[in-house]
Amino acid sequence: MANSENMIICRCEEVTYGQLRTTVDKHKCTARELKLRTRAGMGFCGGRTCRPTLDRVLDSFIPNFSPSEIPLKYQPPIRPVSFGRIGEIHD
Amino acid sequence: MNDVIVIGCGPAGLSGAIACVTYGLKVTIMDEFMKPGGRLLGQLHQEPTGDWWNGIKVSEQLYQQALNLGVNIRCGVSVYNLEKEDQMWKVYTSIGTFEAPFLLLATGAAEYPIPVPGWTLPGVMSIGAAQVMTNVHRVQIGKKGIIIGANILSFAILKELQLAGITVNHVVLPEKNAFSQNAGVPEEVMKSLLNAAHLAPSPLLRFGSSFMKNNWIRKMGLTFYPKKGMKVNGTPLLLRKAAVEIIGEDQVEGVRVIDIDINGNPIPGTESTYEVDFVCIAGGLYPLAELASVAGCPFQFIPELGGHVPHHSESMETPLPGLFVAGNITGIESGKIAIAQGTIAGLSIVKHARKGNNSIDNQLQQAIQNVHSVRKQAIIKFNPDIELGRSKMNELWESLYVKNETPGKMTG
Repeated sequence: MANSENMIICRCEEVTYGQLRTTVDKHKCTARELKLRTRAGMGFCGGRTCRPTLDRVLDSFIPNFSPSEIPLKYQPPIRPVSFGRIGEIHD
Repeated sequence: MNDVIVIGCGPAGLSGAIACVTYGLKVTIMDEFMKPGGRLLGQLHQEPTGDWWNGIKVSEQLYQQALNLGVNIRCGVSVYNLEKEDQMWKVYTSIGTFEAPFLLLATGAAEYPIPVPGWTLPGVMSIGAAQVMTNVHRVQIGKKGIIIGANILSFAILKELQLAGITVNHVVLPEKNAFSQNAGVPEEVMKSLLNAAHLAPSPLLRFGSSFMKNNWIRKMGLTFYPKKGMKVNGTPLLLRKAAVEIIGEDQVEGVRVIDIDINGNPIPGTESTYEVDFVCIAGGLYPLAELASVAGCPFQFIPELGGHVPHHSESMETPLPGLFVAGNITGIESGKIAIAQGTIAGLSIVKHARKGNNSIDNQLQQAIQNVHSVRKQAIIKFNPDIELGRSKMNELWESLYVKNETPGKMTG
């Protein structure tokens, strides 16, 4: 993977494969910690584009994940939504 | 007041709603797309019998049937959260909060995009996006393009693009790495394609499929695989070339490829560039189960089903009371299976709502049998080991949730 270091994995937050890899190498982190350190998967789309890619990267970076757990937790709101809608203020 | 809220207006959601409303339950379907039909809308292929499967027609029939029976259908509505409160499911949506005692999640699948250097350039899209633009929006995606990824989905959609008069110059593999995994290994790709031989791209693959399953013949076939590829309805399938990088200034201008051996390892000094103006990346599908997850449903990773799937029984119940699933959220299969599973889920809900008559158990069993027979006849199998994946989930369900009726067993 000659050009993969600069390859963008998370488009919203512009996180590259190289950034993810060096973060794991340096901090030996869990899936959640990697997400919080790099913001990969935390952009506007809520990880809808890069989540499965991140899962696979994590799988190869961080072994021994449990088959009954989703590596990165899903949290509401799972779709972009306005503050007004969440507060049930109808216009 | 709704008895049932169905999330997803595709084949599984529509057939589930139809089964529920037939027994007098009040049903609302919600879908975030502006049209009903889900991924049926993109499907168009010829069956071995010569008949055409036209997803748009199938979805129109299901939609009209549901409407005539009195199902309330709301398209363009996004669900962003689920909660259970006082035996009722609260469904939070872009148009407000709804409640019902029963919920059917029929949210289908999403695409796995294989990242390739340069994949953020305009003109690069997933193969599913190409399908939606072509068959739903009727937009020409480009003049000449390339598909990265050789699998059942990319062949089905390649055929659709060809029917729409769109030129696809080549199908190549992704480079072998942590993202592409087996999709970058010619031998593995060949194995999975042989199981889809009925849709086979070339007479050679079709003819060879039975004895190519033999290991050494397959290796021979790949070792002597023609450099120019075998034609898939006129498009060369290059199993021995991998995409290294997508290039271009402001948009896609080309794809750099390299020759690979049968294990996917690049052969130095064999790079070349294909000029294209669009690129479709075909990485396969995974169950879209985010709502089951926020609802608190437990999951299991089952690769044969396409990834993490919510725990569910053959009757399409989940361990959470009132929560049911159907269609690709339970595993990646064809639209016909989704329709058959929707019926199971609908009948299951009817049973739990105590609306059915004495024959409901019988009908439920028949609906389960129907899924098995539809699966046996399925011409599109996304995973050749689908039956194994299904039985893994059934065994898990039996071991976790079916009460062991051993008399005198101590609990507590």
